[in-house]
Amino acid sequence: MDRKIGVYICECGPNIAEKIDIDKVIKAVSPLDDVSIATRYKLLCSEQGKKFLEEQIKKNGLTHLVVAACSPRDHQHTFMTICENAGINPFLFQLANIREQCAWITENKEEATNKAIRLTKAAIGRVRYHVPLEKKEIESNPDVLVIGGGIAGMEASLHLASPQRKIYLVEKTSQLGGVVTNLEKTFPDMQSCPKIIQDKIDQVTNNDNIKVYTNCEVTEILGFFGNFEGTVTQNNNEDKTTVGFNVGAVVLATGCALFDPTDDPNYGYGKFDNVITALEFEKMNLAGNIRLKNGKTPKSVAIIHCVGRDKKGYCSEICCMYSIKFVRYLQNKIPEIKISNFYTDLCLPEKSYQKFYEQSRGKKNDFIRIDSIKITNPGNKLTITHNDEQGNKKSHGVDMVILSPALEPSVDTKKLAEFTRISQDDEGFFAEEHEKLGPVTTSTEGVYIAGCAQGPKSIQNTLIQAEAVAGKILSSLIPGKKIEPEVKVAHISESFCIGCKTCLTVCSYGVITFDSTKKVCVANEVICRGCGNCVAACPSGAASLKHFTFNQLRQELKEAVL
Amino acid sequence: MNNSSDSSEDKGVVIQVKNTQKETVNDFLKKAMEQGVFDAVLISVKVPAGDSFAYVLLTDKELLKDTFPLPPIMSVQGAKAISSITRRGKGNKKIAAIMRPCEIRATVELTKLGQIDLDNIVLISMDCFGVMPTPSFIKDPEKSLKKFEDAIRIEDDTVMRPVCRICDKSSMVAGDLHIGTRGVQKDAFFIVSNTKKGKDILDKLGLISNKNIDTWLAKVKENAKEKQKKRKQAHKDLQSSIKNLDKFLDTFSHCINCHNCMRACPICCCRVCYFDSDKMKHPSDDYLRIAKSKGSIRFLPDTTIFHIGRMVHMSLSCVSCGSCEDACPMSIPVAQLFSMTADETQGLFDYIAGKSLEEPLPLTTFIKEELSEVEDVHD
Repeated sequence: MDRKIGVYICECGPNIAEKIDIDKVIKAVSPLDDVSIATRYKLLCSEQGKKFLEEQIKKNGLTHLVVAACSPRDHQHTFMTICENAGINPFLFQLANIREQCAWITENKEEATNKAIRLTKAAIGRVRYHVPLEKKEIESNPDVLVIGGGIAGMEASLHLASPQRKIYLVEKTSQLGGVVTNLEKTFPDMQSCPKIIQDKIDQVTNNDNIKVYTNCEVTEILGFFGNFEGTVTQNNNEDKTTVGFNVGAVVLATGCALFDPTDDPNYGYGKFDNVITALEFEKMNLAGNIRLKNGKTPKSVAIIHCVGRDKKGYCSEICCMYSIKFVRYLQNKIPEIKISNFYTDLCLPEKSYQKFYEQSRGKKNDFIRIDSIKITNPGNKLTITHNDEQGNKKSHGVDMVILSPALEPSVDTKKLAEFTRISQDDEGFFAEEHEKLGPVTTSTEGVYIAGCAQGPKSIQNTLIQAEAVAGKILSSLIPGKKIEPEVKVAHISESFCIGCKTCLTVCSYGVITFDSTKKVCVANEVICRGCGNCVAACPSGAASLKHFTFNQLRQELKEAVL
Repeated sequence: MNNSSDSSEDKGVVIQVKNTQKETVNDFLKKAMEQGVFDAVLISVKVPAGDSFAYVLLTDKELLKDTFPLPPIMSVQGAKAISSITRRGKGNKKIAAIMRPCEIRATVELTKLGQIDLDNIVLISMDCFGVMPTPSFIKDPEKSLKKFEDAIRIEDDTVMRPVCRICDKSSMVAGDLHIGTRGVQKDAFFIVSNTKKGKDILDKLGLISNKNIDTWLAKVKENAKEKQKKRKQAHKDLQSSIKNLDKFLDTFSHCINCHNCMRACPICCCRVCYFDSDKMKHPSDDYLRIAKSKGSIRFLPDTTIFHIGRMVHMSLSCVSCGSCEDACPMSIPVAQLFSMTADETQGLFDYIAGKSLEEPLPLTTFIKEELSEVEDVHD
């Protein structure tokens, strides 16, 4: 095939034109093999520019296109679309970044021009060896598997469910609602919680498009975005029944667990009466029965914040606020009660939290900053000994101690992370794809995280995440619409592979499996995201990535450095 | 290597030597075959022509009498032999492989690289005193063998290969069983088990690991310490011979591009070496361009980059066995240079190639803190 490469250099207004001698670049690349035209244009990404390029491709019968302009992050997609419109395969295109990598990094016009020549030549060298890649389309299933029937899972389900989209909501316990069902009120608005949660439960159970599985656990997840197969096992006493279904996406909304205070003997939990956890206190309060073990009403209570924070190494975000909520519960129900809060740091973010704290302080409610704390029980009276900020040792006697423990990953996190091939962060929670740029997506496309399964968070932030997850799914998994898997995918050559499985361990997406008969690794192109890790790690040159083949890179490098 | 509690064994079996050490080792193997502990033995023998040694897979126990558990040369790295047998999966019979520690270590590396299935293999190592350079041995095999045996008797390593003279892992126990001959009376040797598999074999043979092995441990430690010192010095000297690019290029300048080093290397297990593949064959215009930019270009091309590429590929698994240097027809100190590099690269990952099956290959793990010493830090 005769190649006809068109090279178009964008002036980018004054951005490139003033810093690079564009005519010199044109002169340098014009004589190269296969280059049928090399010319300049004011602004190729403008509407006229795009029209100009499309006409040029058609008029000159170009087979390949090189644009020397800006970063591929800005306009790679723009120019690939132009190729498509003009009837050439969009992968027979290469962008040379002569703005960020040449014009903007030096005042020296000559150096910038020389580098621009090299980069443009490199793009031409590479594009010669590009091969057309065809976009694929696969059928997708719009249904969603939501794991966890707490507030996060229910909220996501309610947003997602529609006649075109069935939701399978799997809950491990016998009822929906999760940890929130234990709360009397929410902070900081002090709204009645049982009503909010009961409304949600009713909405979920009355929704024809949500199928709820209680007493159920997910036992297998296979497949990929658009085509997952989930298996759920129901634990009905002795009987175990298994159901399987196909879904397009999976939402992990499994919540979290509480740090076990028996792990730190200083708190005396499990050893002394009337030392209870925050959750035990919530239940006691919801039952309207704040009592000591001997049935009497407590006259003094200590609330200890930050329990387990040292061991966990992170702030659990909500403990300060619910501890202050406990102050409100206690003041409301036992007006004469004396309350002492012991904390190491107060966490009061959000626009209304500081106010909530300030309004809760009072004569009979101390906030004491401590360095270390120990609870003892001399003469059957709970005594709190602590070091204050100055290092002085102090003691308090109280009737009841409420421990506000850190939130930690729930027990099923590891198992589900393995099923869905996503990773766990250093703390053991499900790891999001990117802390800032991908807070609810994961390394496996089509698997999302909402709520405390991703890390400690308040009800409002949980709902925000559940809504974000719903938004992600609604915009990417559209009923009746096919999905386009990545085109630039890895391939493992059967004849070169030595079966060492190095690629298998470095792939974050579970793309690679080992064929034990042939003793070679095999990449599943449908789920490959084209990151290239396997190519870099493969010791035997068996793995390659489409559009980044050895030859393409070599040709590019050759022009850039020789 | 199966679990750490087995590897910290500080007791061993004492075997009394009848006639020669070699015969006693062979008797031990024969007894194990008779009792069905092994069905076959992979061991070195003298070739019929009498001028070299080769590994054989031996099923007739009567042939054990002709074997050489510690041959004077390393004509084939043992790990390559095991890989040839089990590359397509394990067999049904139990095979005992008797090898030097560096061969066992290469076996461990190849197992991690998926080139060996150890399920039905029992790895038995022996204290190694080094091997002679193959080219010098074959000049007069008979005389050389005598020289080798004398050298072992008087513990003189000057006839051994340069990498053997600075080997600090010549008693490293990485397999299932190890035969320790250092620091013992001439009429006995130790057998130490390193894994559950090894222990089970001793149990089946009715051998009880209850003898104090302190004399062996002390001698091994002393030897390793002395060799480490020598190694450090040797590497220092070597480093000055390649300290700049010109010197480095000079060192490899007489390479004839035969790639023998790669073929002899147990770790180089690619189906086709990248440097032999079509990916390295370029159009003549490319060569002309390089010639134009540099004035000239040497042919065959890619001679030095081959060594650098190979170093990048295998240095994390290099066991300093010296096979590459033996195979070099131009006497380039490849093994010395590669093992020096390997010490550095493996050190970056706190990794010792072939030490343990449980330790994953450095490239397959991600540890945030590692490699900080070579990171570019931009504050």
